[in-house]
Amino acid sequence: MQHLDVAGGTGDVAFRVLDVLNKSEQIGIFRSLDLEANDDTRIHICDINPSMLSVGKRRAEEKGLGKAKSLVWVEGDAESLSFQNDSFDGYTIAFGIRNVTHIDRVLKEAHRVLKRGGRFLCLELSHVENLMFKQLYDFYSFSIIPRVGEVVANDKDSYQYLVESIRRFPKQEDFAQMIQQAGFQKVEYENLVGGVVAIHSGFKL
Amino acid sequence: MASLVARTARGLLRRAVPRCLDPAIVSRRQLYSADWDLCSSYLVSDRPHVRFVTPYHFVRSYCASERGESNPQSSSPGLHEENAESNSNSKKKTEDEREAPDEQRQVLEAALLHVPKLGWSEAALAAGAKDVGLSPAIMGAFPRKEAALVEFFMDDSLQTLIDYAESHEQELSQMLLQERLTKLIECRLQMQAPVISRWAQALSIQANPANLPTSFKQRAVLMDEIWHVAGDHSSDIDWYAKRGILAAVYAATELYMLTDHSPGFRDTWSFLQRRVKDALDCGKTAREASQLAQTIGAGLGHSLQGLFRR
Repeated sequence: MQHLDVAGGTGDVAFRVLDVLNKSEQIGIFRSLDLEANDDTRIHICDINPSMLSVGKRRAEEKGLGKAKSLVWVEGDAESLSFQNDSFDGYTIAFGIRNVTHIDRVLKEAHRVLKRGGRFLCLELSHVENLMFKQLYDFYSFSIIPRVGEVVANDKDSYQYLVESIRRFPKQEDFAQMIQQAGFQKVEYENLVGGVVAIHSGFKL
Repeated sequence: MASLVARTARGLLRRAVPRCLDPAIVSRRQLYSADWDLCSSYLVSDRPHVRFVTPYHFVRSYCASERGESNPQSSSPGLHEENAESNSNSKKKTEDEREAPDEQRQVLEAALLHVPKLGWSEAALAAGAKDVGLSPAIMGAFPRKEAALVEFFMDDSLQTLIDYAESHEQELSQMLLQERLTKLIECRLQMQAPVISRWAQALSIQANPANLPTSFKQRAVLMDEIWHVAGDHSSDIDWYAKRGILAAVYAATELYMLTDHSPGFRDTWSFLQRRVKDALDCGKTAREASQLAQTIGAGLGHSLQGLFRR
């Protein structure tokens, strides 16, 4: 299995994907595919920020995965990936797509590098639908988060950007539409915590 | 009095049994028959884009070849031309369908080939996906993975059975009811023969509470279809009883088949014959019993009347 995790410099998603793939190999789901399948599994971690990648590499070493062949660290731009067409079974992007300049280009690239039948998964902060909860969430985002950022990290602007970028990101339905326009099929999404976070999914067919 | 009991029971049952089992479905079936036609031509016609011969393709092609043999004998040249025309029509339709092939269906079809070896499992789905040139990640598109495979098999076998019934309509109509039922159940169970070593697993998947509603419905529709083909168009209290009895016979035979090691499942088919015979005899006995009850009721009523008159 070939997996690409974009904007995943710190490796959080990659480690979990590796766990799941190892488990499914243990119970023999891919037994029938290839005998070398075990050696074949690669998780490419792509990030535009080299210092994020170095954090991820350090954490991999701490987990004892420092020399694991299956983790490949790549510095690259999500809008123009350096990978061949049809080369991945899965593509994940967690808390990354909100920060790119051209969302549509990123989606096109994701569609390009995925194999037929491959799955696109996106985890992103999204929009709360419940009115009551929305008020509470807005108060928390605009009044508390920037202040906490100011006190703890001494960086108010970054946290102000964070909450504003969340509000600027397309709503769940609109984003699903964008994923469809990039060529994905069977697009669906799932809200977590009432929509604070949403997981979008699509298949390349 | 008996009729009153029957009427109340019918009313209660109507309310209790879900709509999917409603007798109205029998008449609705006529509306669907056009769709079924299309489906069957799609399924029976040789499909170059399908590269694999699955067990049920085999059964289907067997049905098709039998139909081909019997057709030239029975039909005049003119009729034959008509057949050819309708065939080309249906081919056009299938080409339309081919433009948008359903990948999920392809994966399931290919995965069924791997079931005897890998069971009704994600491994079989992964292998199926690989066979049709898709990434195993497509498995994520099946919410209940193994159940999707079993349910696909059930649906597909049902369609094959309908095809079989359509192509053998004349032959079936000449049989006795008992023979017809036996033949249809045998035909349906025969489709399970290639995967019989794994069928116990399929049954356990169907019995999973999450999958139970679908598997129950599929079985109900199967029973309905068999009775429909066997020529039953009743819509009274019998409707439920008949389907219930047939479901019991079917399930018993299905379980018997699991441990039948006789060549060609010979023992299973003789078991099936005996069960169908028993069931029909039981129906007769029940009818006799109800007649007896009516007679006794009437007799009692008369004597009571006589008592009061005195």
